[in-house]
Amino acid sequence: MIQFSNVSLTYPNSTRTILDGLNLTIKEGELVLVIGPTGCGKSSLLRLINGLVPHHTGGILSGDICVDGISTQLVKPGGLAHLIGIVGQNPLNGFVSDTVEEELAFAMEALNIAPDVMRKRVEEVLDLLSLSQLRARSIATLSGGEQQRVAIGSALVMHPKILVLDEPTSALDPIAAEEVLSILHRLVHDLSLTVVIAEHKLERVIQFADRIVHINGAGEAIVGSPQEILKTSQIAPPIVHLARALGLKDIALSVREMRRMTQDFRNQNFLTPDSQIIEFGSTLISVKGLEISYGQKFALLPTNTSIREGEIVAVMGRNGAGKSSLLRAIAGVITPSKGGIDLLGSNPLTLKGRERRSQIGFIPQEPSDLLYGQSVAQECKQGDNDNEIDSGKTFEVLNQLVPGISPHTHPRDLSEGQRLGLALSLVLSANPKVLILDEPTRGLDYQAKGALIKTLINFAQLYRRAIIIATHDVELVAELATRVIFIADGEIVADGPTIEILLSSPAFAPQVAKVMAPQPWLIVKDVIDAIARNP
Amino acid sequence: MKLMPHPLTWWIWSIALAIGIARSNSLAISLSVVGVASLVVLQNREDAPWGESFNWTLKVAAFVILMRVSIGVLIGVPIPGTKILTLPILPLPTWMPGIRIGGTVTLERLTSTLHEGILLGSIIVICGAAASLTSPHRLLRVLPVMIYEFGVAVVIATSVLPQLVASLYRIRQAQKLRGQELRGLSSWKKVAIPLLEEALARSLDLAAAMDSRGYGFSRKRSKYRPTPWLVTDSLIAIAALITLFSSWSLIFAAGLPLVLRTRTLVTK
Repeated sequence: MIQFSNVSLTYPNSTRTILDGLNLTIKEGELVLVIGPTGCGKSSLLRLINGLVPHHTGGILSGDICVDGISTQLVKPGGLAHLIGIVGQNPLNGFVSDTVEEELAFAMEALNIAPDVMRKRVEEVLDLLSLSQLRARSIATLSGGEQQRVAIGSALVMHPKILVLDEPTSALDPIAAEEVLSILHRLVHDLSLTVVIAEHKLERVIQFADRIVHINGAGEAIVGSPQEILKTSQIAPPIVHLARALGLKDIALSVREMRRMTQDFRNQNFLTPDSQIIEFGSTLISVKGLEISYGQKFALLPTNTSIREGEIVAVMGRNGAGKSSLLRAIAGVITPSKGGIDLLGSNPLTLKGRERRSQIGFIPQEPSDLLYGQSVAQECKQGDNDNEIDSGKTFEVLNQLVPGISPHTHPRDLSEGQRLGLALSLVLSANPKVLILDEPTRGLDYQAKGALIKTLINFAQLYRRAIIIATHDVELVAELATRVIFIADGEIVADGPTIEILLSSPAFAPQVAKVMAPQPWLIVKDVIDAIARNP
Repeated sequence: MKLMPHPLTWWIWSIALAIGIARSNSLAISLSVVGVASLVVLQNREDAPWGESFNWTLKVAAFVILMRVSIGVLIGVPIPGTKILTLPILPLPTWMPGIRIGGTVTLERLTSTLHEGILLGSIIVICGAAASLTSPHRLLRVLPVMIYEFGVAVVIATSVLPQLVASLYRIRQAQKLRGQELRGLSSWKKVAIPLLEEALARSLDLAAAMDSRGYGFSRKRSKYRPTPWLVTDSLIAIAALITLFSSWSLIFAAGLPLVLRTRTLVTK
């Protein structure tokens, strides 16, 4: 269905080869997963399929890409619209209409399909993706998962043979992600649709993949079955790391397989570890009767909680549950309608300038919002000056976090992980008492995530600081947090130690916990520790 | 109750009003048109990013008036008349004859630049009103495919611009959290750089999405649901055209001496 023959790609004004001599054949009805570190060219590979690269972006392309017998060199992306549906990284940026129904019809209108045919197809897709309840809704008011479904739907109305998706679950909570992926799985099996996905969170997609294309960042790509690739790959979901840690001969890709392989191991009697109580310090933040509403709409119902020194609190919940509102209120950028926040005796709303920096550090969803310098060096210098610390200190922090960034790079040219690293080092160089992060792992690969986890744990334990992090990433929470607050519809529905909260709900359990239940282990390290205790 | 007219209606309305303002050259007309337009926007705008953009249009218009007045007063040929104050004259090299910075500020100079500035600002406000009343996405659907490139440009301009306002708010919030005090001109750079970057990325995303969904590929377009032109649309358009023509006749009635006076001033 898709044939890459000897494809090489270089972007103009760049010396780096994105792809080098890639040969790849994707058959009909295959679900192919593209993996690789951030910035390695996954998106470019996807956009090569329908010719957006190089028709839309420019770039030097050699070799040939053939889609269903049509060479993309000869046809513009619009000419392949009936054959390929493409869903971008951020579907909201690609929407061209106001309501769900109009959005679904857009591509068919553009290709002059008769109105009665259009009607029928729209109804089909509304049913297929269970969108019929939302048909007249304004797209801007939909949740992340619903938007993703609309984006997939608007590609499917064209009856394409190929569906291409760029990180379809990165912004979704675990349940919404599962919904989207199970729809894709069904399409592949029922309609023999060919699907190509790029995704970082392998734990979510790996069980659906037929084959993997692993791009290593230097232009080379390896193609193989998931088992082959993941046996040796650095990029691997926790379940594969678990198999490696247990010294299993084969690796399993689904929880079901892995549970079969580890049955004997699980049933051993393990000594319960000496209950290790981490001492938390005094209260840093107390939230008293906090209430937030936007106009008539409640974002957060009256909430009381407190956060102590040394705690790493993960705030979880569906898209739109009120996580960001809580975080922003604590950071003092939105004014609560009732109640308030006490941060070491002061109100975060009144903090300004240097005092603010030394009390609260905040990393927004788009870390680049914080950056305005022309180079990394300039940003770091600004950080040094702002915080009155020795010059070069901020860059040092950055170098520990993400080594090997040239100080002359423009912040825009950094990869997602590097940009987060830069924003984080700017904030950390002020050594704030509270650090708040709003969904930091969108688009981060495993390596960048590992570095982030290490830095944050260090920061909380070494300096006795509090960290609050809103995230959908269960694996991150399992590795990082000491406490989880679960929010639903503006209310705290659960609040307790990570292990209790994560083990009590199957949807939010990390992979290791699912495999090893009923043993109370969340991450691979827990398993290794348990083995060490029982020689 | 909010009106939901045809996407072209408000644009016809605003273009007619803008031409009316320019033709009539009258402060009273332009201010009353702006007043009416503001009321219409407050009453009818949708709860969407483009709906929010009107407040910013007002700010931009105020800025334009301010700039026009300060440039008009500071630079240029002096007009004789009632003296208000005298500014020191900036010495310029001899190869720049006829240009003067500073000097005597007369009442006539001040009022005429203020007049021009307000007319300019009013036209900006009127166009901003149409942008905040019309969903750019609905506008795209009624534009003919023939002007494909133009259609893409219009959609990007009109949908990215209002989104800019939302991003501006978000970025300012983030910068405030970095403890940056956002005052003065230098702070604009801190906001403008991430803002423009994002606007560019969004525009490219949108253009790519439209391209890959076949927009403009077929010469003909079908309509999923026809956008009807209703009586309300005709009424709005007629009302605007009446304003336009009445401003036209005004030129020949009361406005004529005024036009002549400005003409003579220019030719002097």
